[in-house]
Amino acid sequence: MGREKEKEKLSEKALNLLRSRLSDPNFIFRPLSDSPDSNYSKLKFIISTSVTEACNNSILLLGPRGSGKVAVLELVLSDLLQQYPEAISVIRLNGLLHSDDNCALKEIARQLCMEHQLLFSKVASFDDNSQFMIAMLRECGLAHKTIIFVLDEFDFFAQGKQRLLYSLLDAMQSVNSQAVVIGVSCRLKLLSDERFKELIDTYLSFNFTIGHLVRFLFQAVSYMDLSAGFLSLGNFKTALSSNQRQPKLECIRDCSVLELYMMVCMKRLEVKEQASYNFYSVMTEYKSIHDSFQTSDYYAANVCLRAFEHLLQCQLISFIDNKGHNQSVEFRPVKLLISSAELHQGLKSYQQCPAILLKLMDR
Amino acid sequence: MATEESPQVTRRATRSYSASNTAIESTNLPESYKPTINDLGFRQQPLRLEDLLSSFPGRRSQILELLRLLGPLNSPMFPILVYGGPSTGKTSVTLQVFRHLNRPFIYSSCITCYSPRILFESILNQLLFHRKDSGHSYSSVKRCERPSDFVNYLREALENVLTNLKGNSGKVSSKMSGRPDGTMVYLVFDNLERIRDWDKSSTILPFLFNLNDILKMPEVGLIFISNTSPDTYYLNIGYVEPIPLYFPDYTEDDLRHIFMANQTNSRLYASFLDVVLRPFCRVTRQVDELAAAFSSLFKKYSEPLSDKEVAPNEEMKRRLFSHIRPHIASALNETFQVRSQPLLKAETNEETKKTNSSRMLGIREDFDKIDFHMSTSAKYLLISAFLASRNPATLDASLFDSTGVSDSRKRKRKASEKSMDQKEMAEQELLMKGPGTFPLERLLAIFQCITSLAEDSLDEEESHELTVEGGSRGLMSDVLLQLSSLCNANFIIKGGSCPLEGSTRYRTAVSEDLALKVARSLKFPLSKYLYRR
Repeated sequence: MGREKEKEKLSEKALNLLRSRLSDPNFIFRPLSDSPDSNYSKLKFIISTSVTEACNNSILLLGPRGSGKVAVLELVLSDLLQQYPEAISVIRLNGLLHSDDNCALKEIARQLCMEHQLLFSKVASFDDNSQFMIAMLRECGLAHKTIIFVLDEFDFFAQGKQRLLYSLLDAMQSVNSQAVVIGVSCRLKLLSDERFKELIDTYLSFNFTIGHLVRFLFQAVSYMDLSAGFLSLGNFKTALSSNQRQPKLECIRDCSVLELYMMVCMKRLEVKEQASYNFYSVMTEYKSIHDSFQTSDYYAANVCLRAFEHLLQCQLISFIDNKGHNQSVEFRPVKLLISSAELHQGLKSYQQCPAILLKLMDR
Repeated sequence: MATEESPQVTRRATRSYSASNTAIESTNLPESYKPTINDLGFRQQPLRLEDLLSSFPGRRSQILELLRLLGPLNSPMFPILVYGGPSTGKTSVTLQVFRHLNRPFIYSSCITCYSPRILFESILNQLLFHRKDSGHSYSSVKRCERPSDFVNYLREALENVLTNLKGNSGKVSSKMSGRPDGTMVYLVFDNLERIRDWDKSSTILPFLFNLNDILKMPEVGLIFISNTSPDTYYLNIGYVEPIPLYFPDYTEDDLRHIFMANQTNSRLYASFLDVVLRPFCRVTRQVDELAAAFSSLFKKYSEPLSDKEVAPNEEMKRRLFSHIRPHIASALNETFQVRSQPLLKAETNEETKKTNSSRMLGIREDFDKIDFHMSTSAKYLLISAFLASRNPATLDASLFDSTGVSDSRKRKRKASEKSMDQKEMAEQELLMKGPGTFPLERLLAIFQCITSLAEDSLDEEESHELTVEGGSRGLMSDVLLQLSSLCNANFIIKGGSCPLEGSTRYRTAVSEDLALKVARSLKFPLSKYLYRR
């Protein structure tokens, strides 16, 4: 008994270690950064030259989500902070949070205050904050200190009027400042925008997604059997199958027989090329099926309406337009969100599917 | 709050006035409860794994998978999305798993927290151990509306809690002191699909899904619970998806286990389930809907038994089955209704009738009455709205002329095939378009005609139940109030106003069945006024 517990404790420790390593992006990307050709070294070179030569610079990092852009950036920054401890200060903004320039300036002022141990006032106005930022830029420029602005989710800053970008780049031009602006984004269409080509001096692209692989590994690792203490092939297979879900088929398998009837009715209406249909037209089709085939599954309108609403909730059907809020549910036109092939497959895999439905689908 | 009233108050005092007076006078205000770190864990008896698995039949694999994804104590995790149909046990399984593991967690539901500000403040309140009470006039600990503020406050609060937990972990074993285990905090967001209907959903949903990356704190775990599958969250910025955990609907066997739990007479209930479970499962497999239907049906099933504790043998089962069989069909059609009068009442009224068909008829008659109360003027208003939506406006003059009653049937023409086809198409168009809109003036005009008609007919009958206020002038002010109540109850939908015409248009939202029922209760000949093409 004691040995079992010992073994479990050890395997728990091993599991913990694996999980924490997989969840830590720094750990994952460090070994990939060693080659001289990698993005890590390029980035490091660019930033360190701007720091040492006291010039302004702007960089854009592009790549799909999970490809390690922020992770590599953080590695570079932590290395540089070790190398030049007094000469760099980092301000981090996120497009999801700070796309409004009021918020953004407030956040910039707050981080600057935290870094230089100044008192931050929450009620400072937009003008106060922007003057403060310009003053800090000037001071840091005079003291040969580089401020690095990291703008995560850059596409949010780049949409709309782009006030923050203009005020930031304006401030960099007007005073004697040393600042590096690094944008990180996963939307590739930024490249096509002409303004950015002028504004951004360099861009680096990241092409592979490690994020999805890491997530898959994490799942496989968490299925590890603690009593055995080893990962097995079965763990990887279960993780793979959970990543290859087919959500529409799952929804169909969860439907009741009445809901299947309704979906088949809608499919038949589509086949008859009826342009749009609502609940009542589906009910007429349902009634006609019942009349011609004498099925045993004929239910009243309110029961069918509830099944209809359940289908709406699962998003197997949806309203055609969103404007009809002053019409009740029964009259608004709907459309099917699954193809007939998916519906067919779902019916076949449904346990105890009534044969009549398959026959109707085959027609 | 103290309920004694001070005897010196001689003038009429409103409730709030006397309550505030007594609050000032009384010195023993109830002590408000101050939450502590122990409140982050489940404060009930800890749960063993076997009990957890046995209390959720059919959910064994989901519970084990959730336990594996959460991992051992103090190990970081990826965000998880628990999804599945309604009433499949997602929330209860998640909460009971946390009870079993005894780890600190923060729960917030997007139904009770219906805007971003309330959601953020609720989470911060729980983390900062602040409870809203009368002392602070029910305010939250911090005012937080924007995600940027929320992230800053959340980081501070989490760091406080984590240092607290780390300090505790060195001390006495937490099982004895009721403290939660470990140095990780989990945030549970329930009913995530509601966020899609918020105004700010396009910023809040990506924010929540990326919260893990924004916070960059490995000691925080995120769990999302949703009624809909992950692909219904269409976000155009992309994000690394949380790990999905699917809760499928229960199979018939699982449903049998669930319904058999906590039954006093299990043999009787088992034979009941044998009869009803399969037909009802063809309509729905959701536990809440089935439970409502089964509870009333079971009462009827065990009606003929004098002794409810007896275990039925085969012969008794057959008799009970034949007793319940006619009711199953009708109950199936009423599956989703929770009736305000129990079905039994209809039965006792019709006990004299012996045949099956008349018993069915008796039930149907009960369906013909509306089972909620409406005042007479509201009923007339509802009927006028229905007529206004159904009939085209040009017909009003002929239908409601000065003599009141008029015949709306057209002269009988020979029905040619072309007109039959046109009729069908017109009917289909009517089905597709739905009820039409009408302005307020038309509604009031029809209402006046109908009620003057009713007054005349009632005066003739000399009925004593006249509740219509005397004179049409008395009715006017009440009508507008009734109209707004009907709008709030969704009997009439208020549409947008047309900028050219300048008045709001209304539309009726009741079905013809309900309108007929209401008219029948007033003895109003609705069908004579309905326009049939």
